[in-house]
Amino acid sequence: MLIKTREVNNVVIFDIEGEIRRSESMQTTLHHQVKSHLDRGRRNVLLNLEGVEFIDSFGVGEILASYISTQNLGGKLKLCEISKKLLLIFQITMLTKVLDIHEDCAGALESFDKP
Amino acid sequence: MATGRLERFLNRFADVRGHEAHAALYLSGFFFLITFTFYIIKPVKESFLIGFASAASWPYADLATALLIGFVVALNTRLLNRLPRRIYISAIILFFIGCLLAFWYVFDVYQKSQVSTPVADSSGGIFFVWLPLAIFKAGTVPVFVFSFWTDVFIALSVTQFWIAVNDVFDPYQGKRLVGLFVTGGLFGGIAGSSLAALMVYAKLISAGNLLLVCPVILLFALMMVNLVYAEQKKLKETAGAEADPVQAGARVGYWESFLAIKRNRYLRLLAATLASAMVVGSLINFQFKFVVKSIFPNTNDRTLFVFMFYLGILVLSTFIHLATTGRILRSFGIRWALLVAPALLLAGSLSVFLVSLGGLLAWVSIVRGGDKIFDNTISQSVRELLYIPVPADIKYKAKMFIDMFVNKFATGLGAGLYWGLYRLSDFDHKGDVAVLREIGILVVVFLCLWIALTRAVYAEYPAVLKKDIRRKWSDPEKAVLQHVDMEQTLNIFNTIQSRERSTTLYYMNVFNLVRRNDLAPELKELLGIKRDELKARSMDSLLDVGGGVFFPGLEETIVDAEFQSEIDLIFLLPSYQEIMGKRLGEIVGSDSEVDRIEAANSISRMVPNPSTLRSLERLLQDPSSEVVTYALGSASVHRRVEHIPLILRLLANPMTSQEAQRTLAAYGSGIEDLLKSALEDDGEPPVVRRAIPEILARIGTQKSADILLDQLARRREDMEMELVDALYKIRSSRPEVRFRRKLVRPELVFLIGKGYEIFLDHPVPDAEAKAALDLNVKRVFDLMTLLYPAEDIVKAYQNILQGTRKSGDYSLSLLDDLLDRELKAFLFPLIEVLPSEERVLRMKKAMRLK
Repeated sequence: MLIKTREVNNVVIFDIEGEIRRSESMQTTLHHQVKSHLDRGRRNVLLNLEGVEFIDSFGVGEILASYISTQNLGGKLKLCEISKKLLLIFQITMLTKVLDIHEDCAGALESFDKP
Repeated sequence: MATGRLERFLNRFADVRGHEAHAALYLSGFFFLITFTFYIIKPVKESFLIGFASAASWPYADLATALLIGFVVALNTRLLNRLPRRIYISAIILFFIGCLLAFWYVFDVYQKSQVSTPVADSSGGIFFVWLPLAIFKAGTVPVFVFSFWTDVFIALSVTQFWIAVNDVFDPYQGKRLVGLFVTGGLFGGIAGSSLAALMVYAKLISAGNLLLVCPVILLFALMMVNLVYAEQKKLKETAGAEADPVQAGARVGYWESFLAIKRNRYLRLLAATLASAMVVGSLINFQFKFVVKSIFPNTNDRTLFVFMFYLGILVLSTFIHLATTGRILRSFGIRWALLVAPALLLAGSLSVFLVSLGGLLAWVSIVRGGDKIFDNTISQSVRELLYIPVPADIKYKAKMFIDMFVNKFATGLGAGLYWGLYRLSDFDHKGDVAVLREIGILVVVFLCLWIALTRAVYAEYPAVLKKDIRRKWSDPEKAVLQHVDMEQTLNIFNTIQSRERSTTLYYMNVFNLVRRNDLAPELKELLGIKRDELKARSMDSLLDVGGGVFFPGLEETIVDAEFQSEIDLIFLLPSYQEIMGKRLGEIVGSDSEVDRIEAANSISRMVPNPSTLRSLERLLQDPSSEVVTYALGSASVHRRVEHIPLILRLLANPMTSQEAQRTLAAYGSGIEDLLKSALEDDGEPPVVRRAIPEILARIGTQKSADILLDQLARRREDMEMELVDALYKIRSSRPEVRFRRKLVRPELVFLIGKGYEIFLDHPVPDAEAKAALDLNVKRVFDLMTLLYPAEDIVKAYQNILQGTRKSGDYSLSLLDDLLDRELKAFLFPLIEVLPSEERVLRMKKAMRLK
């Protein structure tokens, strides 16, 4: 898994490539990276999953932990460009009820400005 | 005056912030001029009433006001709802100016008519021919009309002032600035009554001609209120649009105002409280008049005494207000401030049964003076504060109705009670002491009612305040728990992943899923349960069976209860245990990761005999995090104490940390001491120690909470965030757990102190300092949930952080109400919106107090 970060309009975007799974993860996990941005005062986080082929239970845990940490500080965490297959799994497991998932990242970025 | 200098000057009287200074000054000036006028008119009214009416007819003035004020309320409410606020207030002031000129003319003619009887003079116009004659014929009627008009003037002017305050300032600002306004009012009263007393004493002007001074004062008041609204318009233009209800709203009449109160329990209680206070005031006033009339038979002596009495009240009110009102409100809050007046008046009124004839004047002056002083100072401030949480759309209707109708009705009720008692008990033939004691019994009854209603109003107050504070975001963990079955979700992802890895593992996972839940058709489709072509690829490695089509009718088979119980029986077979025990020993040493994963997974279903547990122990130390994760799943089923050190070690690995936390939490209560030892062991890696509070939070026992608090008291910087997070989680999920105040409070103060340090090091915080401050404030609020209602604290935090200015101020009011005095004094400089310089000053002051 490869994670690159960039910032657009006060939103930290994590461009993730590969698989978010236990065996693929680095020593610094996605949640650690999100938390480090939160500690620096960033409050809006966008996970761009365009390059993500698969997520295992570890990956789901990381995304949910990142969501909880962000939300607890009054921030927002959103997901974009998620594959149809993953979206189906997210829907079946009701994760779509909790996570704010957008079809494209531009729309997700715009939505950060809305209350 | 420059805003900075003006702010510093006004800060001597109240907590005024830069942008509020001009509006606060104009409003104080407005109130000064109103009360200036009021304290000229009131002694004139008293003088006329005492001079021209008998003691038995005094109640008629109050009764007339009580009966007629309703019509004024109705008319005023209509005007208020139809006219823009600025025009409405200006029009009413101009109306009062006109009335004062008319009354001056009437009393001028009336006083002259006492000397010579007017006759019809046909040299003037018809109106001016007959008017003096009509005034002469009317006898004392103009005095009662003037008395009624005075009551209307006082009620309308004061109501208008507080409406203007509500238009310009929000609740929290109002609470800070109320001291300044009351000061303005008191100084106005002193100036007005001093001027009136001096002029009359020095015989510079007659009482009637004092009425000509008032229109001039009111013209200045008109100018002042227009400056207030002009300033507000300017502020709104620069600050952007946060709409304030300064325009006329929907048309609401007298009946709607009454209904607004009738429908709202809080307003009903508020009206009843104020009414009981007014009845008490009215009855005490009759006690006062009775004594004064008896002791001062001479009109001049009596009038001078009344002037001096009012002046004394105002001077004392000013002194008491400046010295105590703000302090009582800040230190004890509304709750105790509400009780001050009725409690002290009760003590004073009961003492009537101990007073002798010689001490009557002193006693009645103290009680009547006390009532008026409280009314001018703390009771007035608290009364206005009690309106603050009422929604704006009904506040105006209710306030007008209560201030003008309910109050006057209550005064009338007091007058009616005095009138009834006067006749029933035949006061004409009783001694002064007996009369005062009989009235005193009624006073005590209404004081008790006042105290009871005060408690009832306060009980409602926080709930009314909280209606305006809503959560800005929901608790994310609760949202996840509410919508997502975490265990099933993780199993689904594991199952999908395992399909690519091993058919055996896949079937194991499917079997586990089916055992737990009825799977939805879409999920079965997603997991491939409906497909028949799946083959056993790795089962052979475990059970030494050949490959081939496996379970063509998987869907039907796997959900069959008989099939499930057969599987359970196989796991329980002694021969299976024996064979698998040996086989597991070989598999855990296998090079195949898939084999080891399957073994780790299958252990969860096996009987925990020594060989199985040994295998599990080895698997928990496997180099593959995938294997370890499945082994942790099995460990959470068997929950053996000997595995805990191994699991603790896995907390250091980010790949297995989450699962290790879940596993240890599954052990539940009973392992808290082991976790505590690890938490305190400096030999453990910091990352392991930092993961333990979350486990204790999930276990969530009283013992867990005690351990976490004990650790927090050690003040280890690297553990602070995790400990506070964990304590907050226990608080929000386990309401039965108690947190010892004596342990929490010092840590709370310590955390606030850390916020001070950050701020004092960076008075203008850069991004890094701001982020550190944000996290510090979050921890402070999280910790406060342990001592105060968690939902209230969370709402206050969210609205201070992200709410509108109004909801932020409501939140501060809520905290002001909830927190104890010292904590408030220490916390507020950290969370209030303040200029840096001001914040530094307040922090330094708070630190000195601490």
